[in-house]
Amino acid sequence: MSNKYYEFFCPVKVIAGKAALEHMPYELSGMAATRPMIVTDKGVRAAGLLDPVIAACEESGLEIVSIYDDVPPDSSTAVVRDIAGVYRSEKCDSIIAVGGGSAIDTAKAVNILVSEGGDDIAAYAGAGVLKRPLKPFFVVPTTAGTGSEVTAVAVIADTEKHVKLPFTSSFLLPNAAIIDPRMTLTLPPHITAATAMDAMTHATEAFTCMAKNPLSDAYATAAIKKISNSLLAVMDNPKDADNRLELAEASTMAGIAFSNSMVGLVHALGHATGAICQLPHGLCMSLYLPYVLEYNIESIREPLGELLLYLDGPEVYAATPASRRAEASISAIRRMRDALYKHCKLPRTLKETGKVVEEQLERIAEVALDDGAIMFNPKEVTLEDAKAVLRRAWA
Amino acid sequence: MIAKRIQPMAFQARRLYVELMFQVMGRALQAVSEVDATVQKDASALPEGFLFEMMVMPQGSSLIVEHVGNGRFHYHGNSAPRPVDLSIQFKHIAHAFLVLSFQEKTSVAFANDRMLVDGDISYAIRMTRVLNRLESFILPKLVAKRAVKEYPTDLHLPEKLMSAARIYLKVASNFVETVRA
Repeated sequence: MSNKYYEFFCPVKVIAGKAALEHMPYELSGMAATRPMIVTDKGVRAAGLLDPVIAACEESGLEIVSIYDDVPPDSSTAVVRDIAGVYRSEKCDSIIAVGGGSAIDTAKAVNILVSEGGDDIAAYAGAGVLKRPLKPFFVVPTTAGTGSEVTAVAVIADTEKHVKLPFTSSFLLPNAAIIDPRMTLTLPPHITAATAMDAMTHATEAFTCMAKNPLSDAYATAAIKKISNSLLAVMDNPKDADNRLELAEASTMAGIAFSNSMVGLVHALGHATGAICQLPHGLCMSLYLPYVLEYNIESIREPLGELLLYLDGPEVYAATPASRRAEASISAIRRMRDALYKHCKLPRTLKETGKVVEEQLERIAEVALDDGAIMFNPKEVTLEDAKAVLRRAWA
Repeated sequence: MIAKRIQPMAFQARRLYVELMFQVMGRALQAVSEVDATVQKDASALPEGFLFEMMVMPQGSSLIVEHVGNGRFHYHGNSAPRPVDLSIQFKHIAHAFLVLSFQEKTSVAFANDRMLVDGDISYAIRMTRVLNRLESFILPKLVAKRAVKEYPTDLHLPEKLMSAARIYLKVASNFVETVRA
């Protein structure tokens, strides 16, 4: 008998498509929530993205009791405490996160405090600390990349102790994720490209790393197909609502895939680069993806070759000999990166970012080696291996 | 019918095997940290007094080692002098048996959700590297290949034999000292 075993879990209700936001009042009422609080950031508010959310609720007679719009890009324990204070003083009974990864993570942490009590979010850090469901929690993503709306983790910085606190529990998952094309329609090209490549990396690593399983595979391949078909169309025509929706759906699907199968070396290097050089996460993913696939190729030849079908379509897949499909998949990803570079100068190498110096590569490799994602990379990675990949990604 | 009668004995044997393997691994962790520079380098990044535990849930067998400084470990048996800093917990003794009998690699066991990590993930990754290095030394290559993700290409037979002999000697001495005490 094979030792094969896997787990898969995603209880998030996905509400996606035209006029999806207008379903929110009904869904909230179904959970007896009548006093929601919105957690968001200033950029989202300035872009006018709160307007359709508020209008959808007010039209149904649901009043948004409070709006906190000051979530910083790297949220902290103090911010979480402040928002929980507002939630309590306004007697809110549910949370709607509107934004990207930071707003969503912050809202997850706020939900812990307002549900479990207390002001010290650090007391709930770690895995499996939460033992019961939290307050009703909805997420409206405004980027198409992080997949945070379907992940059971949040990371909050403890600025006093200078550490990042991880929170892991299935109770952090929102009750619903609302995917509405209006929310990503105004996303600038550079961010559209980087976040879509983030989703592409989630799906590719989910499909090629050690914890892959039949269910996460299905989500990963569907996500890759959607991104391959829609990303360049959106870059050509940013107001293309149909393809925007495809990208947003792909991001959620890739999120479901990787949260059930984990990621690998691309993420380990990306986390380290983000921490040391302050490069955006999506950019790091796009940058490292082909180099890591080349490093892993002999361990993932079969699944990577299979991805050619979703990256380049059935004609190219059928015309490519099985023994060459893995390389062809990497070429397809490289072509996509070249096209994005033409569109919005999304960097393809560390040198092109202009924010990394060659002397930092050693430190990036050392930090990456201790990253949790490296455990699930299909091929063992030594310090020398990590440095070799970084040197290839340099220029 | 016979299978039903044998089952409790099989469970008992499995429990004893896991317990014995934890005792060997705990002592071997201490030994390899006294013998191998690579392990010492990895371990030296851990805080001094750092307590690492590997255990079977809910309150099964366990091994506890402490980083006593300079990359050296001290084996504490199955009881910790204070709350541990990092715990790797097998969800069930059957999962511990799969890993400790080399039917499932440690990395595969993580991927298969057989184990939980309670503590800093980066330290867990470091300790896994140390465990892999230990297994590469003390197990025959054919068995070690089943235990670690990739058998190190730079580990050649003379170094392996010398290190393994020193580790086993130290483990045996530690066992004798424990019995005498």
